[in-house]
Amino acid sequence: MGEFARLNFYCDEHRCINCDGCSVACAEAHELPEYISRRKVITMNEGIENMEYSLSIACMHCTDAPCQQVCPVDCFYIRADGIVLHDKDKCIGCAYCLYACPFGAPQFPLDGAFGTKGVMDKCTMCAGGPEETNSHEERELYGQNRISEGKVPVCAAMCSTKALLVGDSAKISDIYRERILSKGHGAKTQPYGWDVAYGKKL
Amino acid sequence: MANTWGYGAMTNSLGDIQNAKAIIIFGANPAVNHPVGFQHFLKAQERNNAQMIVVDPVFTKTAAKADIYVRIRPGTDIAFMYGMLHLIFKNGWEDEDFINDRVYAMDDIKAEAAKWTPEKVSDVTGVPAEKLIQVTKLYASAGVGTLIWAMGLTQHSIGSSNTRLAPILQLALGNMGKEGGGTNILRGHDNVQGATDMGCLSDTLPGYYGLSEGSWKYFASSWGVDFEWLQGRFKSSEWMGKKGFTLARWWAGAINGKDGNDQIHNAGTGLKNLFVMGNGITSIAQQAKVKEGLDNLDMLVLCDPFVNEAAILTDKQDDVFILPAATQFETSGTVVATNRSVQWRTKVVDPLYESKTDQWIMFELAKRLGFYDEFTAGMKIKENKKDFTWPEDATDEIARIIKTIGLTGWTAKRVKSHTENWHMFDQISGRGYGKMKGEYYGLPWPCWTEKHSGSPVLYNTDRSVAEGGMGFRNRFGLEHDGTNLLAEDGSAPKDSFIEGGYPEINKDNIEKVLGITLTEDEKAKIGKNWKVDKSNIIVEKCMEKGLAPYGNAKARAKVWTFPDQIPMHREPLHSPRADLVKEFPSYEDKSNHFRVDTKYISKQTEQEWVKDFPINLVTGRLVNMNGAGMENRASKYLAALSPEMFCQIHPDLAGKYGIRDKSMMWIHSPEGTKIKVKAKYSFSVSEDRIFIPFHFAGHFQGEDLTHKFPAGTAPYASGESANTVTNYGYDIVTQIPETKGGLCRIEYAKEEA
Repeated sequence: MGEFARLNFYCDEHRCINCDGCSVACAEAHELPEYISRRKVITMNEGIENMEYSLSIACMHCTDAPCQQVCPVDCFYIRADGIVLHDKDKCIGCAYCLYACPFGAPQFPLDGAFGTKGVMDKCTMCAGGPEETNSHEERELYGQNRISEGKVPVCAAMCSTKALLVGDSAKISDIYRERILSKGHGAKTQPYGWDVAYGKKL
Repeated sequence: MANTWGYGAMTNSLGDIQNAKAIIIFGANPAVNHPVGFQHFLKAQERNNAQMIVVDPVFTKTAAKADIYVRIRPGTDIAFMYGMLHLIFKNGWEDEDFINDRVYAMDDIKAEAAKWTPEKVSDVTGVPAEKLIQVTKLYASAGVGTLIWAMGLTQHSIGSSNTRLAPILQLALGNMGKEGGGTNILRGHDNVQGATDMGCLSDTLPGYYGLSEGSWKYFASSWGVDFEWLQGRFKSSEWMGKKGFTLARWWAGAINGKDGNDQIHNAGTGLKNLFVMGNGITSIAQQAKVKEGLDNLDMLVLCDPFVNEAAILTDKQDDVFILPAATQFETSGTVVATNRSVQWRTKVVDPLYESKTDQWIMFELAKRLGFYDEFTAGMKIKENKKDFTWPEDATDEIARIIKTIGLTGWTAKRVKSHTENWHMFDQISGRGYGKMKGEYYGLPWPCWTEKHSGSPVLYNTDRSVAEGGMGFRNRFGLEHDGTNLLAEDGSAPKDSFIEGGYPEINKDNIEKVLGITLTEDEKAKIGKNWKVDKSNIIVEKCMEKGLAPYGNAKARAKVWTFPDQIPMHREPLHSPRADLVKEFPSYEDKSNHFRVDTKYISKQTEQEWVKDFPINLVTGRLVNMNGAGMENRASKYLAALSPEMFCQIHPDLAGKYGIRDKSMMWIHSPEGTKIKVKAKYSFSVSEDRIFIPFHFAGHFQGEDLTHKFPAGTAPYASGESANTVTNYGYDIVTQIPETKGGLCRIEYAKEEA
């Protein structure tokens, strides 16, 4: 990760098969209540020939994040690496951010007799929240902090077809460019993880 | 498959699919059932410009990624494939040299294919003639193409014909024994290939040795037990060679012909006890019969990490035992992948709570039944030990005994070194680098010796036998009806001592075929043939000469021991086309089919089924579940993706019956059974068929049985089993149930207040 790394998600529409590996991995890793969908796979035109396609969607961690712009209590903050997080202790659960978000990312609890709204929850890119890193409090409020451990967010790690990519935007575009460039050039061979283990391509 | 060219297994691998220029998929939905493996299909499209053709009664998630989707009527794959062959022969697209050198009786296929004009195919399959022509032209002209199938092709009364015609299609195009080609059958679950290789079947010993006396004797001596002792375990010696009941119809044994049920041939007695180890018998066809079978048992034992729902399906009150089995994470040992390759699985945690590993349960059972010493003797033979180490000695025992599919090279030490160094193998070819050079990942069988590389692509003659090359297996004799069954000249694997065909090697022909003279010592040690040669001298000598021990023969398009010598289209027992039932009737009824009398034509013509049951019923899988779904539905997050049993139904069909989206509906089967499920409007199915997933259990014919679970063991989701309404019907050779082509009747289910 470079000095000016900015972390992004990207979902390759050709590769996504709506297996929901990402959303189940996310829910399982962060032990989410069943009504919270930090990440969801959406399928359009299901069952219609040549029209069906799927995409995995969560918080896109915008640079100019509309949620942050509209939040009346200013609970959002953007890390230097571009991850958009929020402080659940400040959040008043007004759901303004849901109005503003272009991706439907903010989630609200549905428990209680009348579906009380409660404070907002959303994808943290597996980076926790403002509490002390990897503390019990952070885990209870925001789930795992995998970024601090140098791990890839669990959704992308689990993605069965590697449709969902995450990381420094420069790195993602490299991977995607390689995908585009290799189109029609035949199968390419390389042992899994060889370059990681030995620092070179065959 | 095995009857066509020697082995019944995936010929290539998932990774190798990336080398295909065209992919045709019959009755498989890898995007849902093999999501990780499906990346290779997508990469073949991306990198190799491969065209993907999906032939399926339902527009699946795989179809959503296809270049061409073909909506076929269930149970008519043979008609479709003959339609392809018709066009291939008519236009000269076949591989003449390949057929001449390596295939027997393709002329018989050609004659049958001539009858299947595109118009005729269209009438039978429901596929427009133009689409058949488009698909065939594309597939035949693309260069090397791979053919994929799974249960959608096999689970039919003509399943064993389906799985012969698909290989024949590949043989006609010369797509066998090539990278990017082959017949790639997708195994549905973890270690299915390994379980099959180890003989979890009722008609063979491990390693497909069959049940002949010679095979029993080979195993008796290899296991270190007396043949007479083994024989004495059976009612009488003749029962040792008889096929047992199958998973599909064990219940007929328990019901024992009562109340008009099919008669059995089981030495005058019914099945009394059932011991189930990790099998979702609640996802087997005809659940009402499964229940009847369970109710009729004296004793039922279920070993599973979760409560096997058979325990709540039965009304049996006494002598039902639920044993807590450990999961795969709580034990270690080998597992075999769909491409015949082996991996070591390491234990993650010790068994939790009171759960016990499968081997612990079996060892204790053997102790209490009084044959523990015999049961474990084979593991001590190799190094003449006093005691054994599990699972390493079991793995080495398998390697020592199983020659037929070449497991000799699968020693525990080697398997572990592959798994530990998996990053040093190429992800497509499986070829090793660095210190793993000269070996293929997981040593795909046949792996003839402890030094052999493994065979990543079966029947590939472009490689030497030492590098995994081989011809087709000589398994069906040297000639038939006066025609040579051995391969013709020029079709031997690379670096072969013999240019053309040669027979399988045995003690009598080894010196002549290999042109060698054995020493007296070797002669004394050598076994009768390569399959039972404990010394492995036959195999070693073959390796030196670049020969495959099993010979080099022709694949056969005609199986003269089968009811249909060449694959023939026959309508499903419950067909929506009464006119075609007359033209393509099913088989004569079969007596004593795996010990059970089985109906074909009498069931098919019992009445004109389509009059009362006008809708095709198709079952299949969901991405978040597998098998009977008991472990998946015990996961909160997996269950949340499909919390209820449902039926995919086209809105226009639903409209005719007043069924609204998300309302409840009844599905009735010709067997008089019914299920109540939630309707889900879908365009994935056409107006003449419905789709239901088979992962649910816990409800039975409208009744919720979940109150019968022991406290705290009910899964998060329960529902009707699809197999309560799948129809009667079994394959004529294998007895696999016909779950992929039945009929049903539907109606709106009024909500009770």
